[in-house]
Amino acid sequence: MSEVFFLAEFAGTPARSAQELATGAAKLAREAGGQAVGLAYGEGAADGAAALGTWGAARVIVLGDSNAPVITHAAAAASAIRDGGLALLAPATPNGRDLAAAMVGLLGVPAFGPVRAVRFEDGRLRAEASTLQGTSVTISEPSDGAPGPAVVLALAGTFTPEESSGTASVETAETAETAETAPADGGRLAAPRIVESHAEGKAAVNLEEAQVIVAGGRGVGSSDGFAQLQQLADALGGAVGASRAAADAGWVPYQLQIGQTGKVDLRRHSAPGGYADSGECGGHQQGPGCPHWRVRRPVRGWRPVCDRPQVDR
Amino acid sequence: MKIVVCVKQVPATTAEKRYTSDFRLDRASAESVINPLDEYAIEQALRLQEAGAVESVAYLSMGPEQTAEALRRALAMGGDEAYLVTDGGLGGADLWATARVLAAALDKLAPDVALMGMASDDAKGSLVPGAVAAIRGLPLLSYGSELRLEDSVARIRRLNATGYDIIEAPLPVVASVTDQVGEPRYASLKGIMAAKRKPLETWSLADLGISADELHGAALTRVVEVRPPEPKAPTERIEGIPPEEAASRIADWLAARKLI
Ligand SMILES: Cc1cc2nc3c(=O)[nH]c(=O)nc-3n(C[C@H](O)[C@H](O)[C@H](O)COP(=O)(O)OP(=O)(O)OC[C@H]3O[C@@H](n4cnc5c(N)ncnc54)[C@H](O)[C@@H]3O)c2cc1C
Ligand SMILES: Nc1ncnc2c1ncn2[C@@H]1O[C@H](COP(=O)(O)O)[C@@H](O)[C@H]1O
Repeated sequence: MSEVFFLAEFAGTPARSAQELATGAAKLAREAGGQAVGLAYGEGAADGAAALGTWGAARVIVLGDSNAPVITHAAAAASAIRDGGLALLAPATPNGRDLAAAMVGLLGVPAFGPVRAVRFEDGRLRAEASTLQGTSVTISEPSDGAPGPAVVLALAGTFTPEESSGTASVETAETAETAETAPADGGRLAAPRIVESHAEGKAAVNLEEAQVIVAGGRGVGSSDGFAQLQQLADALGGAVGASRAAADAGWVPYQLQIGQTGKVDLRRHSAPGGYADSGECGGHQQGPGCPHWRVRRPVRGWRPVCDRPQVDR
Repeated sequence: MKIVVCVKQVPATTAEKRYTSDFRLDRASAESVINPLDEYAIEQALRLQEAGAVESVAYLSMGPEQTAEALRRALAMGGDEAYLVTDGGLGGADLWATARVLAAALDKLAPDVALMGMASDDAKGSLVPGAVAAIRGLPLLSYGSELRLEDSVARIRRLNATGYDIIEAPLPVVASVTDQVGEPRYASLKGIMAAKRKPLETWSLADLGISADELHGAALTRVVEVRPPEPKAPTERIEGIPPEEAASRIADWLAARKLI
């Protein structure tokens, strides 16, 4: 079995992570002489699945096109990859982690991650991760005789989407959920369901998807200060992120918190293309090695992340 | 109603961490603490107990013997009893082995809610909750900013891009919570004294009916190399010029690298 599977999340259109992982899976499949096969889920997955061919998918299996909690798709995903395969690339997002974890639990396959590079060496999968706050790099592989596919959590930016003229064939998983079917089914992995949805404001740019994050903390001082950061983010084509303190102060909604709420975690090096940081005190949110570049402005009165403005690369 | 909170012991944030010669995190030499994100899970469980929604709160950890300290600290915050799975056969356990062992221990304890933190501070996988739920065939309610229990259902409040969802599943469930559930309490002196008398039971793999063979030597993965990170490119500082000029220099620098 030489498939390289990847999770393709949709929110109307394919998420940035789906484009990245399709490209990455196609690259790995070429190295291994196999095929990139997408597992698509989320709103718009059924209609948009074929488009994943643009980024190199040869085949796409639609797990479901409802916005039900991602774990609802676990049974369909497991039966799609149950016969083995080289790898399953999953985005290191909350949804990607949940579905990847379920595959490990259901199929007893190895898991790696969050990784920043993955390749095949002599036919063996090698996953590279930055660990211990960026102070070391580890290379891991499946142990001898471990069943496949190996689940690999890939950080944002591990692969760069590349468009081609390819097309993907599309099939629907036997147990696929549609928007019409009720998610809970006693015969399968019992599924949770969304019973209420509350909108609190306009849709913020999705931090998980942002390529550039302009981050602010307590030093920004007010919601007006964050409005300025928003201008900068808009100019750079990015999103604003905030520290816990700034969100607690009510200057930005919690949806924009970088750190531990599961949205984006720079501590876990979920590296966007860039990260501009102003007025954050030197907490452990910013792991070394996470961004490809940073612009930082120190704040008076707080322990700054650096002693003076600087641009790192 | 019974909650079991899964607690991992991790090296303290400030502790100097390193790998052993067999590429394992050196846990023995580093000062260890309760995984900071697990304190939120403990806090959530204790709040539910104080509100009368839960009768008993127990803790479960898998780790080397020293992990008993973390469990005593959890008991000092509150709760009733603790269980430690410790076994020479578990050193180097990976996600799969960890999930398998925790699932077996949870089957034995049979709580209504197995509650976890959203990630460990050392490996940062955020995979244990989903893997444990899958092994046990139970619903997963993950990344809750609040957990509520009513009759025979559990509900979490979970942030989405524009607001939040309420997600529900029938008990029993596996759930994880974020740092939004409320600040964890400190253990009081009284709590610390009381913790010494609370039951702490230790289980081996045999107690869980798991053989070392079944666990593939505790891991389906192995680390083959650990090396220092690549040196960073030299820092380019832009200073001593008016802000407007500095801003345009930064923009040019980023544009030249196709970053904006
Ligand atoms: C630097 C580093 C990198 C690693 N990389 C990998 C890897 O790539 N693949 C792999 O399979 N393993 C890896 N491991 C091993 C990993 O630590 C164990 O698999 C671990 O027990 C579970 O993963 P986690 O720490 O990511 O937990 P997470 O999934 O992040 O933890 C979530 C929650 O699960 C609960 N929990 C987790 N572990 C325990 C425990 N031992 N006892 C009680 N509750 C617990 C806690 O409530 C915790 O908040 C790595 C370990 C280290 C130190
Ligand atoms: N002797 C042991 N008994 C039980 N669990 C252990 C033991 N040694 C390590 N672990 C756990 O196995 C996982 C990986 O540990 P390590 O290999 O030390 O990084 C962690 O969850 C540890 O707590």
